Amino acid sequence: MANHHAVIEKNIGLMIVLILVAVSFGGLAEIVPLFWQKATTEPISTLRPYSALEMAGRDVYIREGCHVCHTQMVRPLRAETERFGDYTVAGEDVWEHPFLWGSKRTGPDLDRVGLRPITEQWHREHLRDPRALVPESNMPAYPWLQHATVDWSTMARTLKVFQQQFGVPYSDQDIEAQMAKVGGEWADATEEDALVAYLLSLGQARREQRP
Amino acid sequence: MSDFWSFYIIAIVVLNLVGCAFLLFANLRMTPEETRSETTGHSFDGIQERNQPLPRWWLYLFVLTLLFSVVYLVLYPGLGRFGGLLNWSSVSQWQEEVAWVNKQTEPLFEQFAKVPIEELHAYPETRDVGGRLFANNCALCHGSDARGAKGYPNLTDDDWLYGGSAEAILTSIRDGRHGQMPPMAAAVGGTDQAVRDMALYVQSLSRPAIKDKPEVAASVERAAPRFAVCAACHGQDARGNQALGAPNLTDGVWLHGARLEDIETTIREGRSSRMPPHESVLSEERLHVLAAYVYGLSQP
Ligand code: HEC
Ligand code: HEC
Ligand code: HEC
Repeated sequence: MANHHAVIEKNIGLMIVLILVAVSFGGLAEIVPLFWQKATTEPISTLRPYSALEMAGRDVYIREGCHVCHTQMVRPLRAETERFGDYTVAGEDVWEHPFLWGSKRTGPDLDRVGLRPITEQWHREHLRDPRALVPESNMPAYPWLQHATVDWSTMARTLKVFQQQFGVPYSDQDIEAQMAKVGGEWADATEEDALVAYLLSLGQARREQRP
Repeated sequence: MSDFWSFYIIAIVVLNLVGCAFLLFANLRMTPEETRSETTGHSFDGIQERNQPLPRWWLYLFVLTLLFSVVYLVLYPGLGRFGGLLNWSSVSQWQEEVAWVNKQTEPLFEQFAKVPIEELHAYPETRDVGGRLFANNCALCHGSDARGAKGYPNLTDDDWLYGGSAEAILTSIRDGRHGQMPPMAAAVGGTDQAVRDMALYVQSLSRPAIKDKPEVAASVERAAPRFAVCAACHGQDARGNQALGAPNLTDGVWLHGARLEDIETTIREGRSSRMPPHESVLSEERLHVLAAYVYGLSQP
């Protein structure tokens, strides 16, 4: 065969195109079909959308970078299911935007933490001062969350975006009901209240059901 | 997976392999003119690039990777809907792993279940198995050394809120506990001074020496008759009531702290401490081993 590769080696534009073609094969075969598979696009039947309070807690979770130390993804390995609970399936996370799977476990996985026999009281004390309860812990303390009230100004918009852009099945009445609570019983909720509500909601969709 | 996507994936995977093989073999052969010359004709600062074929072993490695992928695709999932001859999936692997471990551990747990907690605690296995169960389920509240934290009782001492018998411990773990004391400020007189008097009285029960100070002695004297409202739960002698989980106030062991402020807070605001039930998360056999582990912690 003639020295055809010289053609590629001497033409950087062509080389870039061919490299892109070469590396796209993996994604084309492994990722693209997932966009059309039921298992990855359909929620499990017990999934319910976050309440406004849980959504606010989720925002705090993201803002404080909890996902940097905590995963929300139990893999199908015995050691993990023994410790954390049932392994995570894709249908649990179809309404997660962005998903919070994380990639590093400095602390334990939290995908099922709402199912663990841990009291709300413990969560609060632990967030204020982890080392008061777990002396070995290197988790940062978040004492200000108990004093900061939730900033509700963007919540109506957030819920609308989740409804309209992300296809989360909030009905208009749902959003109204949530916003009524935001104006009522949750008006003075602290960020700690919201975060703890979010933590306690994690895993609830899998309380009884195994897919 | 639909026919279309299955075919789509198979097509890409096969195309990829064939393409790799083609590139490899197409580049093996050299033109006669290339074969003749010793160099590629490239020259940098007078340094000539030699023209050598790939070493054979290197080539065979390439071929080996191609063969490997073919064998892999026959045995494991990779070609669309075809699941591979081994029928492997990450879920089936997990199920096998769980079944395998259960097969090893079930007989052990069954054996343990037959031994009464009062004997089981001395088995070395109890320390291993129970210790792991404890680390996983209980350490976050009671501490990895089981010595507790403020509001979470120490399980290694001989001081029990609900009793240290095997039965009481098992009940605590399985069904949970909820220790409640209502706010008592009003009942002791309502004023800050009255609360302080009562706190000093409670403190003096385990540290009589503080009464050496005359002003403390006066406080204690004022509070003593009012302790009647506490006695309903903590007992006339203040030695507690295990049916209610009301702590013994005379032993110097404190659940919510030994400082005067801690005791005042308890009296003013009351307390509500929950030990969650573990019945739904741990099997009866595991609860048995855990109870034996906890029982053993305070045995000499
Ligand atoms: C520096 C890493 C780090 C960060 C950041 C962090 N954590 Fe943790 N977290 C840990 C570690 C380590 C533990 C285990 C020790 C302990 O319980 O404190 C833990 C434990 C926990 C637990 C107990 C889980 C269980 O099953 O025992 C919860 C709940 C938790 N973290 C929530 C949070 C939340 C919410 C945030 C964000 C506000 C957060 N963590 C941020 C490291 C971190
Ligand atoms: C969420 C925190 C939490 C967890 C998790 C927890 N406990 Fe407790 N436990 C408590 C609290 C709080 C009390 C005290 C309850 C009270 O004051 O009435 C308690 C009480 C107890 C008691 C009774 C102590 C006494 O003095 O009578 C035992 C025994 C016990 N726990 C064992 C365990 C074991 C074993 C585990 C693990 C399976 C466990 N606990 C998990 C919080 C917890
Ligand atoms: C309704 C029953 C009840 C009454 C009445 C009551 N207590 Fe208690 N008390 C409890 C219980 C139960 C606890 C344990 C709370 C827990 O588990 O967290 C407790 C805890 C305490 C503690 C904390 C002990 C420790 O180890 O940290 C103090 C101090 C105390 N009580 C003092 C008093 C005093 C003083 C009074 C009277 C003014 C009083 N209590 C009246 C039930 C009662």
